[in-house]
Amino acid sequence: MNKTILLIKDTAASSDTTKDLKAAFEKTARELGMEDSVQVVRVSDLGIYNQGVVVKILPNDLIYGHVKPEHVEKILKVTVKEGTPIEDLILRNVVSQTRIVLRNCGVINPESIEEYISNQGYTSLAKCLLDMKPQDVIDEVKKSGLRGRGGAGFPTWMKWNLARTSPGDQKYVICNGDEGDPGAYMDRSVLEGDPHSVIEGMVIAGYAIGAKQGFFYIRAEYPLAISRIETALKQAYDAGLLGKNILGSDFSFDLEIRLGAGAFVCGEETALIASIEGKRGTPRPRPPFPSDKGLWDKPTIINNVETLANIAVVFQKGGDFFSSIGTEKSKGTKVFAVTGKVEHSGLVEIAMGTPIRDIVYNICGGVLNGKKIMAVQTGGPSGGVIPEKYLDTPVSYEHLIELGSIMGSGGMIVMDVTDCMVDISKFYLRFCVDESCGKCAPCRIGGFQMLKLLEKVTDGEATPDDIETIRRIAHTMQKASLCALGQTAPNPVMSTLRYFEEEYLQHVQDKKCRAGKCKKLTRFSISTDKCKKCSLCSKNCPVGAIPGSKEQGYSVDQAKCIKCGRCFEICKFEAIVRS
Amino acid sequence: MGKLTRQDIDNLAKSPKKTGAYIKIGMSTCGIAAGAQEVYDLFEKEIKAHNISIDLKKTGCLGMCHCEPLVEIAVEGLPAVIYGRVTQEIAQRLMEDHICHKRLVNDHIYELPVKRC
Repeated sequence: MNKTILLIKDTAASSDTTKDLKAAFEKTARELGMEDSVQVVRVSDLGIYNQGVVVKILPNDLIYGHVKPEHVEKILKVTVKEGTPIEDLILRNVVSQTRIVLRNCGVINPESIEEYISNQGYTSLAKCLLDMKPQDVIDEVKKSGLRGRGGAGFPTWMKWNLARTSPGDQKYVICNGDEGDPGAYMDRSVLEGDPHSVIEGMVIAGYAIGAKQGFFYIRAEYPLAISRIETALKQAYDAGLLGKNILGSDFSFDLEIRLGAGAFVCGEETALIASIEGKRGTPRPRPPFPSDKGLWDKPTIINNVETLANIAVVFQKGGDFFSSIGTEKSKGTKVFAVTGKVEHSGLVEIAMGTPIRDIVYNICGGVLNGKKIMAVQTGGPSGGVIPEKYLDTPVSYEHLIELGSIMGSGGMIVMDVTDCMVDISKFYLRFCVDESCGKCAPCRIGGFQMLKLLEKVTDGEATPDDIETIRRIAHTMQKASLCALGQTAPNPVMSTLRYFEEEYLQHVQDKKCRAGKCKKLTRFSISTDKCKKCSLCSKNCPVGAIPGSKEQGYSVDQAKCIKCGRCFEICKFEAIVRS
Repeated sequence: MGKLTRQDIDNLAKSPKKTGAYIKIGMSTCGIAAGAQEVYDLFEKEIKAHNISIDLKKTGCLGMCHCEPLVEIAVEGLPAVIYGRVTQEIAQRLMEDHICHKRLVNDHIYELPVKRC
């Protein structure tokens, strides 16, 4: 007989009452003579928060919330013994992830093609090649409403259709795996965890547009992803799913890997094409778009890893199924790499339309250490911040653009009240300045000058005029830069200015940094009233800037202090004053 | 594996899933960085030492990066559960308590509400 397992967890942030409850369950089970058929297990995390004590019953898969000691006997008698759910206790509003792209990640062995196929893998390829015409394939993708997951959200079917109708003796499919946004690693996980799903998507794309050759463009910093793709390619060739006359059809398709050498701009499609061609990875003006003149001037489609991983599901379940998930204009799911100040960082795949607040609080367990949230950053260096008051906005391409951010490739960084918004925008802008290829002046010079001005702000040396200059440069970069890197580089600055202008003004007028991140504006000292002379700060100061003794007390040597804030964090008596 | 036909693919896709006991270890970059390889090696050694018939598998990333390395265990008579932040010491306990004695281990389980398509 299968054992019934009760997983219990106190999901309230402050208390842990599971010890007593577990004992109560065990005692009652003994009294009922059920101790051999039930095990009560305390767990670390159930992915459910602020619902009191939650009990998950396996294998029934029932979740009870707000369980109190008086429910113990009833749960054991009614649910465990008789198998009847207790309606009043069932937790109905559990926010769960919806996994399409990550369907196989962590489930199958990525180095086994058999496991991929036994999870419906390559059935879509067979269906497309043997039952459907290329135009039918594109129509099905159109029906699904799938849009590019690289960030801009261009309809996938339209991209394919443009390449299909564009004349050319040779066409190409490129998978863009040059994931470079700080904090984003969705594509790496898909390439490592489910390589065949991307390959299947690429072969279907090749069939749809009439290409014979495809390229994986993967950054060289992802050695494991590259080796798993290499293994998967070999398996697919051996199984006749790549190469000549795939599955006995007339269609032949070859796939190769090209490594990106670590330039962020090579994620931009025209720069990526130049890089594959062996040229210096710099963008060129569009049009002509790659769907007309791409790789070696042939019609080319470039799809993001995540977009391609969706394709197989579109054909397994049908375009209608896919478009039933999501919002009116944004269909399907989106994978986010949630990092920053959250309790549980990780990959989250949610149906489009899920509010950002649900991602942070109900899936990722809230802000680290229960602090107050300040904003959520999406879209990496091309995106913007979403302040706390807009967290109920549903995730979709349109909504995020309305807020001055973008969906982006899926980095989501949570920031709490200890983060300085000017410092954040400076971080992202510096990233873009470092990664600017230098080809066009607005990006090369504008970015650099804007960064100089932001440094003036964080050093407390800026004037209100400088903020206006920042706005003017940002506008010029947005309008005149050659590629998306330069056009979007000012976005983090503009969006922090939009929502947190008062923070900029604090730096400029009051010479203050609310969060204490801007070193030149921050000063640490010790309040003699509160100090208990415990010596903790002195021992922990990395540069020995807190001299003194337990008898005489301690003080901060301002000349030596590097303003790391270590003393401020560790002082148990709040005796360190940050000003 | 030789060249496949559509029939082969359909047969494999429709064949009933293997139901036997397994240990799955998340072995993407994130898991390996957190020490999944050491945990894998330990399970490999222990399975041999105990002479147990259980499938030891490497998988990709499950997405719960905050509690890597992740180990999913399914043995007969118990539902499959995921253990997080598994060290070699914890792996040893999982081997003895969960796999050999069929008792789940307290305080290390991480669940994740997911609908898969």
